[in-house]
Amino acid sequence: MTLVFDRLRKEYGQVVAIDDVTASFAPGLIHGVIGPNGAGKSTLINMTAGSYTVSSGSIALDGKRLDKLKKYQIANSGVARTYQNIRLFDQMTALENLEVCFYPSDVGGTWKEVLWPPYASARRVHRREKCMEILRFFDLQGHADAEAGSLPYGRQRMLEIARALVCNPRLLLLDEPAAGLNHHETAELTAKLAAQRSPDRITIIVEHDMDLVMALCDNIIVMHHGKLLFQGTPAEVQASTDVQLAYLGTANDIDDIRAAAQDRRAQLGIRTRRRS
Amino acid sequence: MSVAESLAAARPRSSRAVAFLVFAIAIALIAATPFLPNYYIRVIDSLLIYILLGIGLNIVIGYTGLLDLGFVAFYAVGAYSYALLASPQLDLHLPFLLILLVAACLGAITGILLGIPVLRLRGDYLAIVTLGFGEIVRIIINNLDWLTGGPKGIARLDKASILGIQIARPVDFFWLLLVVVLLAGLVAWRLERSILGKAWAAIREDQDAARGIGINTTNAKLAAFATSATIGSIAGAIFGASQRFVSPESFTLQESVLIVLMIVVGGIGNILGIVAGAAILILLPEVLREFAEWRILFLGLLMIFLIIVRPAGIVPRSFGPDKLIGRLFGK
Ligand SMILES: Nc1ncnc2c1ncn2[C@@H]1O[C@H](COP(=O)(O)OP(=O)(O)OP(=O)(O)O)[C@@H](O)[C@H]1O
Ligand SMILES: [Mg+2]
Repeated sequence: MTLVFDRLRKEYGQVVAIDDVTASFAPGLIHGVIGPNGAGKSTLINMTAGSYTVSSGSIALDGKRLDKLKKYQIANSGVARTYQNIRLFDQMTALENLEVCFYPSDVGGTWKEVLWPPYASARRVHRREKCMEILRFFDLQGHADAEAGSLPYGRQRMLEIARALVCNPRLLLLDEPAAGLNHHETAELTAKLAAQRSPDRITIIVEHDMDLVMALCDNIIVMHHGKLLFQGTPAEVQASTDVQLAYLGTANDIDDIRAAAQDRRAQLGIRTRRRS
Repeated sequence: MSVAESLAAARPRSSRAVAFLVFAIAIALIAATPFLPNYYIRVIDSLLIYILLGIGLNIVIGYTGLLDLGFVAFYAVGAYSYALLASPQLDLHLPFLLILLVAACLGAITGILLGIPVLRLRGDYLAIVTLGFGEIVRIIINNLDWLTGGPKGIARLDKASILGIQIARPVDFFWLLLVVVLLAGLVAWRLERSILGKAWAAIREDQDAARGIGINTTNAKLAAFATSATIGSIAGAIFGASQRFVSPESFTLQESVLIVLMIVVGGIGNILGIVAGAAILILLPEVLREFAEWRILFLGLLMIFLIIVRPAGIVPRSFGPDKLIGRLFGK
């Protein structure tokens, strides 16, 4: 079973952001989605996660239609995501940012937690153990009690990915996880994501950083003007002149794509906090 | 970092002393109250009612981040529940505890009824609509003469009694309110620490991301509205029983605003802050009673001063009841 897009389409008024895309994503693999700015990559992620509605076509995970569900129901169907612009719960601690992800499974016991303290502490210990495990995996254990919004940018990126992974999702959607990270952090991220491979998980990474995409992905989809331009292994993508044309307008080397990604990284400043 | 926190980090021993002092003062005040003249006990009763209201409203405003300006509606629901079920008005004379239960249920129901239409609203829009809701409830009460007595209100409410013990003197209400405030505070505090409380915080921080991690924001918000309204309504029933008279005048927009102010000045999202905020906003006007018109000016200046020096409130969110108790035991 897989994630399947069937003639998926998204229109914003006159703008066709996603133009009848049909694709399928197998579990156990890491799928890369690349393409120039405005190609529709984020739109694809946002529709899958339920942040945007679908104009037409369908999205199905393991045979179950996702596009008819509400966003929280999609999340509860095993879909977890990160955002192109980090969206953490800023005034909650790093640990709480992960702990709250257990809401769907634990909310039924809320009154028991309120009225029966031993049950509450047992649940909390249980939740926090799981959270600390994933925090340690991302080397964030030292920041567990720090407010998420006060962490350095790179740590915030990691924390957001940790939050997506804490409930062991079936489908993991990462929208530009390396945006704004320096070389060292990107390498660290690549290693962590590689270590998180699991035979049951479908991972989709939207990314401009070609080093990361080429190192990590088993299968790459190239988007251009909302259409699926090319699909293949990293080697096939590197060899494709279509891809180079899409990115740069000329048939140049993949190295130029890298350079474009570098520029973009420089443009992305440090994330401004929404709250003071 | 707040002043309290930085002090605590620098000198844990003195912060422990501060915690002891806070507890000692609280216990001394409680112990001394029964011996005060009735007038003062009434002031303290009204302080406790406002603390109760603050604890209730804080669930929606402080924990969930939804600015509700119509909270007084639930207070009115509770007060009129008592007035209608324990007075000659409908010639009903139900026992006090039963009415508390009815008021709690009615409060929860009105909380949900208000919650449903405003689920999609946030910020200023939510504030305006809830403000309207509070006014609608007051105007309905004002005009439903055959039931509520209209502007004249309902008088001659029954004396309350619990299991045969009459609750009539201000000092009786003091003990009753103290127990109810402690219970409500405990429930609210434990709710905040529960998984639902974490979800409320997530909704407050980023509603859309909260949905993205599987939180049914509709249910979580309605739970917040319902628990908050339940506490407000219980406060109203006790208020009715203690005044033995209710009229729409007690449930104006000003009351809602006062409770919001208490929360903001005291420390949004923090029960300790609410106690501090209520103490300032309820007790100061009493202390300044002699200065008549100057009172409002003075309060206004004080508020401006507090908001400048302590924008997160007198006791900020980060210094919750667990911190205070932890300090006491030297943790
Ligand atoms: N909310 C919106 N309303 C209108 N148009 C939108 C909206 N979101 C995206 N678009 C348009 O849809 C197209 C695809 O946008 P999308 O954000 O999916 O691109 P992207 O591939 O993620 O680009 P980037 O690499 O810059 O993140 C763009 O032309 C964009 O202007
Ligand atoms: Mg994008």
